[in-house]
Amino acid sequence: MKLDLPAIVAQTALLLLLSPLLSGLIKNWKAKLQNRRGARVWQPYFDLAKFLRKDMVVSEHASWIFNFTPYVLLLTALTAGLMVPMVTAQAPLGLFGGVLALVGMLALGRFFMALAGLDPATTFGGMGSSREMTIAAIAEPAMMMAIFTVAITAGSTNLGQIVLASQRPGWEFFDPAHALAFAAMFIVLLAETGRIPVDNPATHLELTMIHEAMLLEYSGRYLAFMEWGAAIKQLVLMALLANLFFPLGLAADATPAALGLGLLWFAGKLLALAAAVVLVEFTNAKLRLFRVPDLLSAAFILATLALVSTFLFR
Amino acid sequence: MNLLPSLRPILDELTQRFGAQIEHAHAPQPNELYLHAKLELAGALCSTLYRKHQGRLAGVFAEDARAGQNVFFVYYLLALDAAHGFVLVRVPIPADQPELNSVTNAIPAANWQEREIQDLFGIRLVGHPNPRRCALHDDWPEVYPLRKDFDLHSQLPPFMGERHKFREVEGEGVFQVPVGPVHAGIIEPGHFLFSVAGEPVLYLQLRMFYVHKGIEKLFESLPIPHCVRLAESISGDSSVAHATAFCHAVERAAGVEPPPRARALRTICLELERLYNHIADIGAICTDVAFVTAHMHAMRLKERILRVNEELTGNRLLRGMACPGGVRFDFDAGQLRALAQLVDELERQFNDLSELTRGNSGLRDRLETTGVLTPKVARDLGVVGIAGRASGFDHDLRRDVPHDFYDQVQFTVPVLTGGDVQCRFDVRRDEVVQSFAILRQVMAKLPAGPIAVPLGEVPADRVALGYVEGWRGEIFHWIHTAPGNRLARCKVKDPSLQNWPALSEAILGNIIPDFPVVNKSFNLSYSGTDR
Repeated sequence: MKLDLPAIVAQTALLLLLSPLLSGLIKNWKAKLQNRRGARVWQPYFDLAKFLRKDMVVSEHASWIFNFTPYVLLLTALTAGLMVPMVTAQAPLGLFGGVLALVGMLALGRFFMALAGLDPATTFGGMGSSREMTIAAIAEPAMMMAIFTVAITAGSTNLGQIVLASQRPGWEFFDPAHALAFAAMFIVLLAETGRIPVDNPATHLELTMIHEAMLLEYSGRYLAFMEWGAAIKQLVLMALLANLFFPLGLAADATPAALGLGLLWFAGKLLALAAAVVLVEFTNAKLRLFRVPDLLSAAFILATLALVSTFLFR
Repeated sequence: MNLLPSLRPILDELTQRFGAQIEHAHAPQPNELYLHAKLELAGALCSTLYRKHQGRLAGVFAEDARAGQNVFFVYYLLALDAAHGFVLVRVPIPADQPELNSVTNAIPAANWQEREIQDLFGIRLVGHPNPRRCALHDDWPEVYPLRKDFDLHSQLPPFMGERHKFREVEGEGVFQVPVGPVHAGIIEPGHFLFSVAGEPVLYLQLRMFYVHKGIEKLFESLPIPHCVRLAESISGDSSVAHATAFCHAVERAAGVEPPPRARALRTICLELERLYNHIADIGAICTDVAFVTAHMHAMRLKERILRVNEELTGNRLLRGMACPGGVRFDFDAGQLRALAQLVDELERQFNDLSELTRGNSGLRDRLETTGVLTPKVARDLGVVGIAGRASGFDHDLRRDVPHDFYDQVQFTVPVLTGGDVQCRFDVRRDEVVQSFAILRQVMAKLPAGPIAVPLGEVPADRVALGYVEGWRGEIFHWIHTAPGNRLARCKVKDPSLQNWPALSEAILGNIIPDFPVVNKSFNLSYSGTDR
C-alpha cells in the first residue's frame, strides 16, 4: 500500500480549514432568513482561536476518558475525512476499509463522546449521552444501507472505487434507488450534525440538548477540539452526500487546473447542501424527542427500499 | 353598610348560619366585605365561601397587631367573581399561642401562602400536610422578619441551620436531575429537582425564594408616595400592574377616585404591558421548541412596542407613570397618534405571526397535549390568569370586578379547556387581539380633564384592597395604613406565587426535554414570588 503523502496533507488541511467556514456559513444564512444580521461567516475561526488560547477547567471527578476524548474525536473525524473523495476522484486513504471503516471511525468518536458525557457525572452530560446513543442506533444502520445502495451499483464498498465507477459512462445519476438513498442520507445528515428537527445547535436549554449536552463540561483547548471535530464531521458527511450522489466535477488528475475546477465544483455542491440544511432548520420546529426515532426509522426504511430497488430495477 | 347588592345575600346567609360567631362585618368599599370572626370559624367560613359560593381563595396573609390588640390577625381573601366582589375573613390569633389551623387540606390553594405566614410571622401551622419551610430556607435562624419587633436593619447570625432535604423518588432506574438554582439563560434563580425514569418525569419538586428581598417589610418603612416606586420593582415585567394595584389600594384607603382620563391612561399602559409580554411569550414558546423564526418576528414586534412605550412615558417598561390619585404624565395628540399607528401596524404584523405559528404542523405537534393542567387541578390550586383561563377556570378581574376604564370598553375573555401548552399559547394570542380592541376603544373614548387628583395624607388605620388583572393574572395589594402617611402592612400577592405549584402538576408524565416549553407557557415570575 502506497501512501500518497501530499494528498493526505492537502486533504487534512482542507478539512481543518474549510469545516469552520461551513458552520459559520450555515449560522449566518440562518440568521439572515430570520431577519437577523447574524455573526460573520468567519466567526467560528475566531471562536476556535479563542478557545485554544483559554485555560481549561476540568472537573476533579473526571477520569482519563474526559481528557482523551477531544483528541479521539478530532482524529477520528479527520481519518474519516481522508477516506472520502472531496476534490479529486481518489480519496487519500482510499485503500483501506472503505465505507465500513468510515462509519466505524465516526462510531468510535461518538462512543468516546458519549463516555465523556457520562464521565464527570454531571446532570446533563449523561442525558445527552443516552439520547445520542438512542439516535445513533437507528441513524448508523440507515447511513450504511444508503451507502451500500450506491456501493452495490458500483460493485465496491471502497468510496474511491465507487466514485471512480461513477465517472465511467453508463452511470445513472437519477436512478430511483439513488434518490431514495439520498433522501435517507440527508435525514441522517440532519441527525448526525445535530440540526433541527433532531437537535437544536443554538439552544441554551440544557434539558433539551443532545449533542451540546455532552460538551457542556468542556472548555478551552478541549472545547476547541470538540467543536472542530464536530465541524469536520459535518463537512465529511456533506462531502459524502455531495460526491456519492452527485459525482460531478471531480478532478481526475492532480494538475492545478483540474484541482481548481474540482475545488469549485466541491464548494458549489457544499453550498447547495448547506442551503438545504438551512431551509430545513428555518421552517421546522424540533421534533418531540420520542418522535425522533420515527424520523430516523423513515430514513432507515427509505434506505432499505433503495437497497431493495437496486436489485429490482437492475 | 354600603354593600354591593350581589354581596348582600351572601352576607345574610353567612350571618344566618354562623350567627354571633361572626363578630363584626363592615365594607369600606361596596365590593370589599370584611368579616371579623372567631379563630375557630376560619376553616368553616372559607370552606363555605369556597364550595358554596364558588369563591377563589385569592390570598392568605397575616398582620402583626400585638402592639394594640395583643393578637396577630390572619386574613383570608376570597374572590367571588360571580358576585363581583371580595370577602376578607379576619381571625385573631393570640400572641401568646401563635397557632393556626391549616385550611390547605380543604383548599389546596392555600399551601404556600400558609407556610409563608409560618415562616415570616412564626405562627405555627396545625394540620398542614407539608409544614416545612418555604419562604425562608431551612438554614435560616429562628427569626420572624414580618413581626414588628424584627428590625428592618437587623444583622442576622451566619446561617448554620440544616440544609434542605429534597424529597426523593426511589425505584429501579429512577434518577434525580437537579436543575438550577443558577440557570443558563438570563433568568432568576429557582431550583427544580426532577425525579425521572428515563425521560418521563415522575415528580418535580420546586424550590423558590432564593431572592427573598423583604419587600413587604420595606413597605412598612417608607412614606406612601415612595412606596409606588417600590411596588413598580416587585416584578419587572409587571411594573405597571403592580404599581397600579398599589395605587388603587391607596386611593381606596384615602377615599379618592382618580379622574376619568387617568383611569383611561392607566388602562392603556396596562394593555401595552399585556401586549409586549404576551407577544414576547408567544415567541419564547416557539424558540423553546426550536422554531426560532417565529421568535425573531415576535422579538421585533416587542421591540416596536417598547419603543412606543418610551415615547409615551419615557420608559421602555412604562415605569414612573403610576402615582396615587392618577398618573404622572399626560399623552399629547402626537403621542396618541403614535399609539394609534402602533396598534394598526401591530395588528397586521401580529396576524402574520399568528398565521406563521398556526400553519406549522411541527410546532403544533410539540405544543398540543404537552404539559396538560386539567381544569380540576387548576381549580384546586386556584391557578389564576392566563394559565387558569387555558384550563377552563373562567375569571378575569377586568370583566368581573372592573377597575380603571374596563367598565367602559367591550371585550371578551378567551377561555379554553384543554390546559396544554397550545391552550396557554392560544389564550395569549386571543388576548392580544382583544387588547388591540381595548386600546382602540380607550383612545376613541379618551376623556378630557385632569390626569390626577391631589392626595393628601392618607388617614391612619384604614384597610383597603387594590387589585389589577395584570398580564400574567390577578395582582393584589392589601394595605393597612398607619399614622404619618405610612403603612402598617402591605401584602403583595403576585399571580406567580399561586401558579408555581401548578407547574409540578402539569409536567407529570411529560418528558424532560419538554419541560422548558411547559415552564415557558406559564412564564412565572421568580421575583414576584420571592418578594
